[in-house]
Amino acid sequence: MLFRRIYQFLIVYCLGVVGLLTVKYAAGLSNYVIPGLALIFDTAHRMLAGYFLDVLNTLSVTVLGQMISIFMAFFVGIIGRKSSWAGSFIKVMAYNIQAYPIVALAPIIFILLGDGFLSRLLIASMICYFPLLLSVLGIMASPIKDIEHFYIATGRMRWQLEVKIRAFENLNKLTTVIAGSATLAMAGTIVAEFIAADQGIGYSIRIALYQSDLARILVALFSIGIIISVYQGILETVGEQMKTKWFAPKGGDLI
Amino acid sequence: MRFECRGLTFTYPEADNPVLENLSFSMAAPGFNAVFGPSGVGKTSFARILAGGNSGPGGNALIYEGISTILYSYNQERLPGWANTGSHLEKVCPPKNSDLRKELVKIFKVDSLLGSRFSQLSMGQQNRMNLIRYLIQNFDLLILDESLANVDEALRETIILAIKEMFPTKLFLYISHNLMEVARFCKDILVLSRPGKNKGAVVVQGQNYETGYTADPQAIDRSLLEIMNAV
Repeated sequence: MLFRRIYQFLIVYCLGVVGLLTVKYAAGLSNYVIPGLALIFDTAHRMLAGYFLDVLNTLSVTVLGQMISIFMAFFVGIIGRKSSWAGSFIKVMAYNIQAYPIVALAPIIFILLGDGFLSRLLIASMICYFPLLLSVLGIMASPIKDIEHFYIATGRMRWQLEVKIRAFENLNKLTTVIAGSATLAMAGTIVAEFIAADQGIGYSIRIALYQSDLARILVALFSIGIIISVYQGILETVGEQMKTKWFAPKGGDLI
Repeated sequence: MRFECRGLTFTYPEADNPVLENLSFSMAAPGFNAVFGPSGVGKTSFARILAGGNSGPGGNALIYEGISTILYSYNQERLPGWANTGSHLEKVCPPKNSDLRKELVKIFKVDSLLGSRFSQLSMGQQNRMNLIRYLIQNFDLLILDESLANVDEALRETIILAIKEMFPTKLFLYISHNLMEVARFCKDILVLSRPGKNKGAVVVQGQNYETGYTADPQAIDRSLLEIMNAV
């Protein structure tokens, strides 16, 4: 799982670089517009270690922001799963807010909170929170009738059991959504750093952009890709291990 | 202990015709009774309405005397998959029914399956396992909606006879498409006919055989004919 993610990224990255080089040589562009391979390697040699540290800095905010989002999404999703007034209100609100591009709110957050750690964390959390919330709400609000019936009929149903049944029955979906939200959280953090921060890979990309240094940007993208692939691979592996532990071993499907 | 239905009519929201129309009958309890009828006649709807009690859609049309706890079990119910079936049964078993659980596990021939997850069982095994967890609960009326589907005939007979012997004070409503089984083992058989046939609901007497019975072919034929005429 982990290595497959990295291979996939490397293939896409190489294709992108090859595409750029094709444009460069086809249009006869200078190194200033699109750097050649030698310049990219030279920049990588100089900047890669620093960029990896920057990405790790960004990743730390991403992981924290994603954890907050997951916690919040489950908290609100569990409260909002009921078809009560509060549940319906939460669902309608979540659907409406997620339709709004949260990134557009980033300047307000920077004006109010400044350009420190908290702003980055808040934007990262907000960007991956709403898609997560919608998935969790959808899962938690859908009864698994053929399992829940017995517990309801015999008066044994508790909210913890209800949540456990619904989470277990949708474990595949939840794992996929949580792994996918890592990309959103990373994008949110980078956007936050890009707009106004003084650290992280987003900040480094902004400097490279002001210097019109595409080689640096490509190296930064490489380090982001490798680290987010590893992070998503780890999330998926953890999800797989949970499924293996929880689910019954299968003898193989006949059809 | 008695259970009566007076003029029960039920129409699903947005449906044009009622699924149950002016249904009236009375059944003495306890006993192993049945609901029989062709597919789509409203047996499951009727069972679900019964399970809802007086507070359900049946409302005042249903009269329960001495029946307070009603349980409804149906084919295709599932146990959660995170633990083996044995631990699920233990968890939902009231402490005083622990011996009953062990006995049922033996009679239902699922003792070798207690270490397996529910999804690993065959459909017949799943239905037997599901029925055990209902039988170990406290109930006055248990509705068995195709709860023994996919179980082989010999074992089904063993199970039905054991239930009748072990729960003589309870009322059961067994929904099945097996005409012979219903005629042989059930006491009162509520036969539902399709709406529009103007037959309404008819209660036919079954042979109500118990353990060690000797079958009377003529009597069974009589019950079968009565049921078929009522459909």
